[in-house]
Amino acid sequence: MEDNKTVITDDTQAEDKKQREFRGLYKNVKISVKTLDFIIVICIVVIVVLVALDLRNPGFTITFDSKGGTDVVPQNQMYGEMLEVPQPPTREGYVFTGWYLDHVCEELWEEDVDVIECDITLYAGWKEDDCAVDSGRVDTAK
Amino acid sequence: MTNPLKKVKQIGADYKQLDEKDKKQFWVDGILNNALYILMALFVVYTASVKPNFLTLGSFANLITQVAAYLPMALGIAGCIVLTGTDLSAGRVAGLTAAVAGVLLQKTDFANKMFQNLPEVTIGWILVALLTVIAIGAFVGLVNGFFVAKFSLHPFIVTLSTQLITYGIILWFFGLNGNNGQPISGLDKAYKDFVGGELFRLGNVAIPMYVLYAAILVLVMWFIWNKTAFGKNMFAVGSNAEAAKVSGVNVFWTTVLVHTLAGAMYGYAGFVEGVRSGSVAASTGLNAECDAIAACVIGGVSFVGGTGSISGIILGVFVLRIIFVALTMLGVDSSSLYIIKGAIILCACALDMRKYLVKK
Repeated sequence: MEDNKTVITDDTQAEDKKQREFRGLYKNVKISVKTLDFIIVICIVVIVVLVALDLRNPGFTITFDSKGGTDVVPQNQMYGEMLEVPQPPTREGYVFTGWYLDHVCEELWEEDVDVIECDITLYAGWKEDDCAVDSGRVDTAK
Repeated sequence: MTNPLKKVKQIGADYKQLDEKDKKQFWVDGILNNALYILMALFVVYTASVKPNFLTLGSFANLITQVAAYLPMALGIAGCIVLTGTDLSAGRVAGLTAAVAGVLLQKTDFANKMFQNLPEVTIGWILVALLTVIAIGAFVGLVNGFFVAKFSLHPFIVTLSTQLITYGIILWFFGLNGNNGQPISGLDKAYKDFVGGELFRLGNVAIPMYVLYAAILVLVMWFIWNKTAFGKNMFAVGSNAEAAKVSGVNVFWTTVLVHTLAGAMYGYAGFVEGVRSGSVAASTGLNAECDAIAACVIGGVSFVGGTGSISGIILGVFVLRIIFVALTMLGVDSSSLYIIKGAIILCACALDMRKYLVKK
């Protein structure tokens, strides 16, 4: 694929070489290659440092214990943010009832009210699927 | 296109003839001129090492769909940059056209349908909607081009003005017919299939139809840029408008048409964006021009004017998307992404100027 490069008429080429200052949007820019090198290096360093800082401090980690259900990916959230409600896990013969702060599923995590204040693990609550019990599909494990 | 293998061999032969000092300079130039590509490679390697699913077919498919979505706007804005200008209205124009397309192509039985008397969504009506939004985009581009060409106003001023005017129109449009600013949702399945329907599967991920449309647009734009008098005039005007005028190029119409063509591309970008987002809000398209401009500059479309290539734009969009897909996968915060975007644009401009000065 042949691409277009700079198209300058013959007449202007000589003139252009003679006074090769910036054209276009950079017309009034006065800058040396050394300064530009410095800017490029600084930009790259800023980007790398920012990514490194972000990765070192990704916020509080919320892990999900689906208690026999399908896996749910952990999340990172900053202080005071709300949980990004994940896709509910599924488990054969059970119906998902929500995420709980304790393993025995007594203290419900209220998605619209509770905010993240520390690293936490949320436990999936399950109740037996009545329809599945009726049709004899459910096993005895809970 | 020159044979890359031949080019590498030539560089190798030239390198051998350099003295020690020049060899050192060769490496410094090589590293700095390709700083953003090296950065991308670093992110790719690091992300692949900590997130193994980054190098899967599904991830690649996701990258392709993102490139196809961002490419049309970059292809449009690149023409404005070749003319030593830019276009700040691109994102808002895409937002407006996304809203118009959304309204024209809502489900017939949707409860919150903004205009009840519109015809049923058929392929014909979809094409009418597509042409309408392209015409709207082209009209805004025409206005931009007219003011830039006729009064030699700087494109920054003109397009900033149309950006704000377009945003005002978007807000006004969202308030029409009792909609009261609600997002436009309930898009018809035929519209969704036309834009986002499965073209083929790559791994587990479906490649949508708009990837095909983006490929067609690339071919069309390549033809316009490289094989038509209009394309050659565009580069001539971008290189030196005065000289182009003396050579018989109609600078006024070239400028107007470049902006009009760019506007048409934003119109199409909006048509796709509605389906990609699932619904259209007043904020759709916000700051999208920043990504497009950054991609163009990374891809070698210089603000110096008169320089650029379609393949460079594609490469620029790819590089930018790879960086952001990698950073998103790594879990980099969205606030940091804005700072990184700004640093990339500044870095790309510095690289652009450096290459120009070093070539001198």
